[in-house]
Amino acid sequence: MVSRSKRTTSLGFVTKPMGRTGRQVVNSLVTGKPNTILYPYEKLELPPSYRGKHTLDFKRCIGCSNCVQICPNDCMWMEKLEDPELGKIERPGIDMGRCLFCGLCVEVCPTVAIHETVEFELASHDREKLKFGPKELRDDKFADSYVEERQKRSLPVLDLSKCTGCDKCAPECPAICIAMVPIEGVGKKKPEIELEKCTSCKKCAIICPEKALEMKDVYESYFDMPEPKFMLKNCTGCGACARVCPADCIYMMEMPGTEKVLKDGKKSKPKKRAVFVLEKCVGCGRCFRACKFDAIEMPGARE
Amino acid sequence: MNLYEFSYGIIHWLVNLVNNLWYWLGDVLPGLLGDFFDAIGRFAASHGHMAVMAMLVESLIVIIVALINVLNFIWIFRKLSGRIFDFYGPYYVGYRIGGWLQNLADGVKLLVKEIIVPMKADKMGYLLAPVIYIGSSILIVGIIPFSENFGISTTREPGQYVPGAALLALAVFAIAPFSILLAGWSSNNKYTLIGGMRSAAQMMSYEIPLLLTAVSVFLLAGSLSFVDIVDAQHDIWFGIPLLIGLVVFMVCLAAEVEIIPFDLPEAEAELVEGWTTEYGGMRFGLFYFTTAIRAYAGGALVTAFFLGGWQGPAIIPDEIWFLIKAYIVYVIFQWMTWSLPRVRVDQMLGVGWKRLLPLAVLNLLIAAAMKTLGWF
Amino acid sequence: MAEMWINMGPQHPMTHGLWNLRIKVDGETIVDAQPEVGYLHRGIEKLAEGKTYTQIIPIADRLCYGSSMTWSHLYCLTVENLMGLEVPERAEYIRVMAIEMQRIASHLMWLAAYASDLGLAAGFTYTMRDREVLIDLFQALTGGRLTYNYPRIGGVAHDLPANFERDALRAVDYMETRLKQYEDMFEGSKIFMMRNVGIGILKKGDAVNLGVTGPSLRASGVSYDLRKDMPYSVYPEMDFAVATHEDCDCYARYRVRMDEMWESCKIIRQSLKKMPKGKWRIVAPRTAPVGTGLGRVEDPRGEGMMYLVGDGTDRPYRLKIRSPIFVTVSAAPKILVGYKLADVVAIMGGLDMCIGEADR
Repeated sequence: MVSRSKRTTSLGFVTKPMGRTGRQVVNSLVTGKPNTILYPYEKLELPPSYRGKHTLDFKRCIGCSNCVQICPNDCMWMEKLEDPELGKIERPGIDMGRCLFCGLCVEVCPTVAIHETVEFELASHDREKLKFGPKELRDDKFADSYVEERQKRSLPVLDLSKCTGCDKCAPECPAICIAMVPIEGVGKKKPEIELEKCTSCKKCAIICPEKALEMKDVYESYFDMPEPKFMLKNCTGCGACARVCPADCIYMMEMPGTEKVLKDGKKSKPKKRAVFVLEKCVGCGRCFRACKFDAIEMPGARE
Repeated sequence: MNLYEFSYGIIHWLVNLVNNLWYWLGDVLPGLLGDFFDAIGRFAASHGHMAVMAMLVESLIVIIVALINVLNFIWIFRKLSGRIFDFYGPYYVGYRIGGWLQNLADGVKLLVKEIIVPMKADKMGYLLAPVIYIGSSILIVGIIPFSENFGISTTREPGQYVPGAALLALAVFAIAPFSILLAGWSSNNKYTLIGGMRSAAQMMSYEIPLLLTAVSVFLLAGSLSFVDIVDAQHDIWFGIPLLIGLVVFMVCLAAEVEIIPFDLPEAEAELVEGWTTEYGGMRFGLFYFTTAIRAYAGGALVTAFFLGGWQGPAIIPDEIWFLIKAYIVYVIFQWMTWSLPRVRVDQMLGVGWKRLLPLAVLNLLIAAAMKTLGWF
Repeated sequence: MAEMWINMGPQHPMTHGLWNLRIKVDGETIVDAQPEVGYLHRGIEKLAEGKTYTQIIPIADRLCYGSSMTWSHLYCLTVENLMGLEVPERAEYIRVMAIEMQRIASHLMWLAAYASDLGLAAGFTYTMRDREVLIDLFQALTGGRLTYNYPRIGGVAHDLPANFERDALRAVDYMETRLKQYEDMFEGSKIFMMRNVGIGILKKGDAVNLGVTGPSLRASGVSYDLRKDMPYSVYPEMDFAVATHEDCDCYARYRVRMDEMWESCKIIRQSLKKMPKGKWRIVAPRTAPVGTGLGRVEDPRGEGMMYLVGDGTDRPYRLKIRSPIFVTVSAAPKILVGYKLADVVAIMGGLDMCIGEADR
């Protein structure tokens, strides 16, 4: 395409550009104001989606450390704390000196506990002061006033300690997402739910006699987190994975028929094994790191 | 009452005050010492001595008034540039008077900076260049009078001002290129050398149309003194018949004073700071200040030659009229500065020699024609 | 005067980035030139080998901080090519709109630097002020002002915020009136034309041989634009023209960029009108298959390309980046020889150097 250029006259030595700047002066003096925001005395108005300093909701955070693992620049760390209400917890801290303010930690959080506010005035004379621990980031009320962008769905969440394997939920589901799967070695069955097909109709939660299925609000996550694979033959039933799992997905169940007869004739307790409820898993990889017997495989998890 | 009489009055009063001391000492001390102090007292009261001191005082007054005006010019420059660029100019320092005190704050800042002399620089030239530059520029502002009664006189008789003042002003204006070349060369830096060379070329090629246009004004006025030139404009300002001359004079002045579009010696984009690169602290401040002084001197010259000097309705005193016109010319200069890009060296030389010189000659012919027709 | 070598840079107030240009001058005429880049090398290709695919997106943004949406989009295209993903349509339209807005913002920043180099200081503030309008739109859309971290593998990070269409259309209308005023101010000034016409001629054959792409190539008369010749994303559905110019000088490059800004305004309007409703992101797999992926886009400065080798894990094996400015800067000796020292800024400014992507 031929461009739309113009040729200029000799008078355009000075008149046209001077006309433009002259009009600018008139505009700025007479009809309008200059385009300056007198900074310390007037502040910028920022949209709520601006990515500034983080806030952390202690109650929503489960301490899964997904944010620490996804940070591109390794700016976050987990700190062990004692809270009067919540007990012994682990919460993340951020080094603002290294932070890119990219927002990936906000996106990957499974419980929408960490947010970024519009506060950007974080300068300090000392690099050590830029390391914000979890207590400095704590704000339990921010999430109430914030309009979440992520979609949430109401999904059934299984509490395996209450489940008896009675198989009342599976025929109730209209979308046929529940299948009863036997647990190897334990002899019971547990329901496995395909969460993509669930329509949130609540029939399975209503029918369950033990109230093991509960409808909870789960936020959509677009990240493909790694899933643990369990190898029964290596499991010794030590329970380390169940203790560290932040999302309560691992239950230790006894395997009947594995009692050994001890030397003095008494029967020992039966061996335990770990049972995974993978619908709740957030992919943090702590079970993988905690198991010392190579019973859990997790391709793609950090060491 | 003109300035000479005013300063003579001040000196007279001062001498009378101090002579009390000398005469008292002459009375008290015996012999030769007493005669000595008596002689000092009589010398101080003599007319020649007081005339010389009066001239010094009036030069001081004129220069101080001019320099305060230059501070005003710098303030207007920054505010106007701010409005052209769509921001406020200086705002906080001197908040209620619109940021006027920013100049003083900048001056103090430049005073406390460290002064570095490059190791391999030619010390004599390096230290001498700013002195020549600012010295000659202050000399110009001293010569241009503000009105008939407010200027520097050369004789004891009031009303007689520097006879060849206009020619002297233009001559002193042209000393500056030498100091720029000296500064550029003695800094031991390839960039400043190029800046200095460019400046020399530019100033030399734009002196000639400038002087030719000034000659046409002298021709019409019939004299070289400012007072006579302004008096000759009582019917009509010279700017109107000599319109070509006015335009040529303003363009040449822009080149002499080194503002964009003729900014090459100091072109930031290519040469960092041009010929002032190696100067720091208050030396740089002096260069900056001198650019403003020369811009003011240029504006004053244009006013005096073409725009009727200090003539105007009598509601406002003459000096204020002169200043108002000089400010208007300065504002037009600044408007031009921020609207136009920079010209290149060979283009600038082309404009100077090929376009402005014939126009200046044409202007001279028009002036000569008007003079012979007896219109002036 | 004798010939001497002058160093323009690395510390120089106006060279748009950290690089060194050594010029041999004879008086004021240039005889030879040698560009030296590498002062801003940050090791991005090596950094990418130790991070997962999602973690590299903010780093790809910082390749060229003047037009960062282009580079993260290019990276996502490459990874989607490697994994064989199909992105939802709404995400494609949002991406195209964001890229064209970024193109206008990048050209405005170029114009600001170019005008102030030539001495036209008012041009700087006017164009930067107009760029603020676009940056405010980006701030509402993505949350950041200069580096956005917005495209994701499989779509975009989140949907358009409320009232975005109204604000974007208002911004585009405002931009078109301002573009008209810029043409008056720049081309209406005879000095600007004197500084640009006939300077820095790069003939058609030389440009093609040296591998120059982008507006510099189109200003030499070669009509090569990746959005039309090798279309990606939803460009086949957009109706726009490719800007070329026949003179090969600085004025032609300036003119091509101004025309590109007009065309980008058209594309933004079309994409806002044609945008379907639906999903804006799909879940991308975490590990990549063993194989290679290639992505090519039309960066505001030329043709950008990324090449990715995946090895079955969730981190890439090798990421190779081809930056257009790295190739264009090697054309410096050809263009500069024979002109005056004062033309260096006009010519090198006209090539729109952004050293962040040249040095990676």
